[in-house]
Amino acid sequence: MSYKVLLCDDEPHILRAAQIKLQRNGFDVRTAFDGEEGWRILQEWTPDVMVTDYQMPRLDGLGLIARCRADEATRSLKIIMLSAKGYELSEAEIVATYGVSKLLRKPFSPRELLSHVQELVETGALAAAAGSP
Amino acid sequence: MKTHIKTNLYAVGSVILPAAALLIAWAAVQSSVGLTETLFRCSLLSIVLAAVGVYTSVVLARAAVEHQAACRCLELLVRTEDEVLRNSTAPAQLNGVPAASPWHVVYAQLRQRLKDHSERLSEGEMMRAGLKLKSRRFQDKLERIEQILSGLADPVVACDEYGELIVANRAAEQLLGFNVQTAQTRILRELTACTPVLELIDDAKRRRSAGQRVGEFELCDADGRKRWYRVTAVSMLAQDAETPDMGGSRVVAFFRDISVEKDIQKRNAEFVSAVSHEMKTPLAGIRAYVELLADGDADDEQTREEFLGVITGQADRLQRLVENLLNIARIEAGVVAVSKESQSLNDILEEAFHLVQPSAEAKQIELASDLSPMYLSVRVDRDLILQAAINLLSNAVKYTPSGKSVVLRSRVDGLDVWFEVEDTGVGLSEEDQHKVFEKFYRVQKDKEMAAGTGLGLPLAKHIVEDVHGGRLTVRSVADQGSTFRIQLPAAAKVSTAVGAGA
Repeated sequence: MSYKVLLCDDEPHILRAAQIKLQRNGFDVRTAFDGEEGWRILQEWTPDVMVTDYQMPRLDGLGLIARCRADEATRSLKIIMLSAKGYELSEAEIVATYGVSKLLRKPFSPRELLSHVQELVETGALAAAAGSP
Repeated sequence: MKTHIKTNLYAVGSVILPAAALLIAWAAVQSSVGLTETLFRCSLLSIVLAAVGVYTSVVLARAAVEHQAACRCLELLVRTEDEVLRNSTAPAQLNGVPAASPWHVVYAQLRQRLKDHSERLSEGEMMRAGLKLKSRRFQDKLERIEQILSGLADPVVACDEYGELIVANRAAEQLLGFNVQTAQTRILRELTACTPVLELIDDAKRRRSAGQRVGEFELCDADGRKRWYRVTAVSMLAQDAETPDMGGSRVVAFFRDISVEKDIQKRNAEFVSAVSHEMKTPLAGIRAYVELLADGDADDEQTREEFLGVITGQADRLQRLVENLLNIARIEAGVVAVSKESQSLNDILEEAFHLVQPSAEAKQIELASDLSPMYLSVRVDRDLILQAAINLLSNAVKYTPSGKSVVLRSRVDGLDVWFEVEDTGVGLSEEDQHKVFEKFYRVQKDKEMAAGTGLGLPLAKHIVEDVHGGRLTVRSVADQGSTFRIQLPAAAKVSTAVGAGA
């Protein structure tokens, strides 16, 4: 069974690059163009990790994360945020307030994204293994 | 008057009495022949009486003269005017008074005394007039300073070394919401409106040497509007040594409204932030796909081609963004080299049409041209108007769904010529119709449809309105489409205007 990753970004080529990198490394990937679409997917499909952009039409990254944190099913979902924002977006604040695991600033390296996603699913798997017996 | 009559009576008496005595004496001598001794004695007595009478009348006459001199002396002194005394035209001597009369001495002394007093009085008057003039000048100066202060648009307050408010102009009263005349207290510390700037003023007050303290504060005026002020508190040391050292100096605080500067700073920061954000997005694409290619994530030739296509496309986007930015900056700074020449608008439009057609075809959009059959002469910078036309056309193609149409139209309208790009896209809301001309503003729906820099329309507006004196307008119906129209003055009119300007 492969790990599932949901990607949300309004830039199609960013979405595609991340998708290719993750799929080629054995992840089951679904994509959304904005927060609303991402939320709709989350209702029927539970990913292990969600990677979301900060600025998106209709529902932005923080709005989507806030919804996730308010819902029982997605409360502990591991999230990586991507953003082209500069100094006005503080990683420490986002991590503390929204429980985001990592803020990756654009331009980002797909390799780096992959390693962060892998790290997250592995720690999740370890925690699950430790908790199961 | 009474004295005068008395004097006359004495004079008459002094004449009549001796005359009567002499008459009696003469009668006695005439009749002495046959008269008795008694009668002789009577006549002798009469002679004595007459002598006494003569002596008395002489004394009385002299007294009358003295009296007259005294009266004359007093009269002269009373009549003597200050000016006469000053000018020394007053008679130094008493006319009609014998030279030996002691009244001359009295008169001279009194005259000198009066003269001295008169001089002192005139000196005092001159001093008083001088002081009055000085005081009026000070009053005028004070009024002028007060007028200037109250006329100043910038608020100014001043407090003394005790921390009590001594001056607040009208602008300061409006800003801080109190009236110096009617305020219950003038102690700065007790005026809540002054609280934000208190520390700065206190700091300046504590200084032992002349100097100033500057701070920036966001203050709420009486109407509740928030504005930024740069407050300069200048400490003024007492000039005179007599002023006791109260552990501080007087302070004047000037408030300068810097809301506009702050706004510009904020907008600059936002602009830089927006530019960097817009640049990072295509950069992110380039970096990601270069890395994918380097990592061998493209299995086949087709995927490799796709990746290279994305890299090229994003590099183009970055280049467009930089060019648009530079063009906007150059136009805004007024350094863009504009070479306006009379030419055919339709020629420019046809060129733009052919440049955009491939992307319309790729998206299966019917791009139609409906150009005026007339020769539309415009005096424009060809490259700039071509850029504006391309920006409108490529926007229309970008934001119109596949299968729909875009029309490029040109017409002549009186002295103006116009061209417009009509699309059948999603349309713009009332709010968006204004905002699309702001830098980096992107309509949410548009973001879903295509990548953009948010600079195309602001640049076109600059080109048309600032460089060519034309107008770029938009009309739009939601879900039916938008029409962007560029109106330009016809060549004839433009050349007249240029000729007049030159």
